[in-house]
Amino acid sequence: MAEMDAVHDAHDEHPTTTIREYLLIGLALSVITAIELVMSLYDDALGAILIPGLLIFSAIKFIIVVAMFMHLKFDSIRFTQIFTFGFVLAAALLTAVVVLFAFDASDAIGGGFIGDPIEHHD
Amino acid sequence: MSAATHETEHHTSLGLDNRKLLMWIFLASECLFFGSLLSTYLIFKGESLSGPGTDIFAFEITSISTFVLLMSSLSMVLAVYGAQHGQLGLMKLMLLCTILLGLVFLGFQVYEFKTFASEGLTLSTNQFGASFFVLTGFHGCHVGGGVIYLGSLLIASVRRNGIGKETPLYIDIGGLYWHFVDIVWIVLFTVVYLIPAY
Repeated sequence: MAEMDAVHDAHDEHPTTTIREYLLIGLALSVITAIELVMSLYDDALGAILIPGLLIFSAIKFIIVVAMFMHLKFDSIRFTQIFTFGFVLAAALLTAVVVLFAFDASDAIGGGFIGDPIEHHD
Repeated sequence: MSAATHETEHHTSLGLDNRKLLMWIFLASECLFFGSLLSTYLIFKGESLSGPGTDIFAFEITSISTFVLLMSSLSMVLAVYGAQHGQLGLMKLMLLCTILLGLVFLGFQVYEFKTFASEGLTLSTNQFGASFFVLTGFHGCHVGGGVIYLGSLLIASVRRNGIGKETPLYIDIGGLYWHFVDIVWIVLFTVVYLIPAY
């Protein structure tokens, strides 16, 4: 009886998504990936909307896999909180590092560190 | 009282299985791991003074490998479905498919790395090479580890007594890891391969 509890917990948690729905989700992910590929081939024509467009499609695929394949939509809210915390922290880290180096006036990439005096190159 | 029974009677403060909770915490930490590698790649992208850059990428190969990994995620969720609905034949078949697709993906990665090396881009060529190979190499290692993990589940499931009464839970946890590997590649594929160097 008790050992069935864990199995029941797993069964209670499992979503009502059918195999057909999973296949449709897989098809949708493939279509979105194909769209991204086509967008990357026409990067000159798309101009400034290429990068935001690719990131949006990537985010859509990310959310679909996390919500439907990883069952976060149907599982305990605790799992969502834990994963979201890690993801938000990672995104903040990435943003901070990229912004730091993008707006670094001391030209750290070209040589020299933030603490060094700025050298002017002719 | 068997060990399995004793194990399943353990009550947790959150009412969640500790093993599944551990996997989610691990995946949250992995977000930080890949976030740091990705940020390093981004700050070095387009900044190398010599050696090949992003023009070395072959989109055809990477597109196929991306599709392969996406399909492996689909087969993995079908394996979880099979485990949760008592369809163990479906579970084993889909586990095998996932493993094979994972191996195909790794094969594509190895081919890509060897091609890049022959064209002059290695770990020590420039900053782009170093950050690229560390980032995608670590992802490949995660895929390899996932293949071994799922392989152990498949082997355990085909034994006479199977994995046991907690089969759905074990397959579900394995699925979480595999799907995470896939979503990391979703991000990497877009940021590394699709977005051009600026």
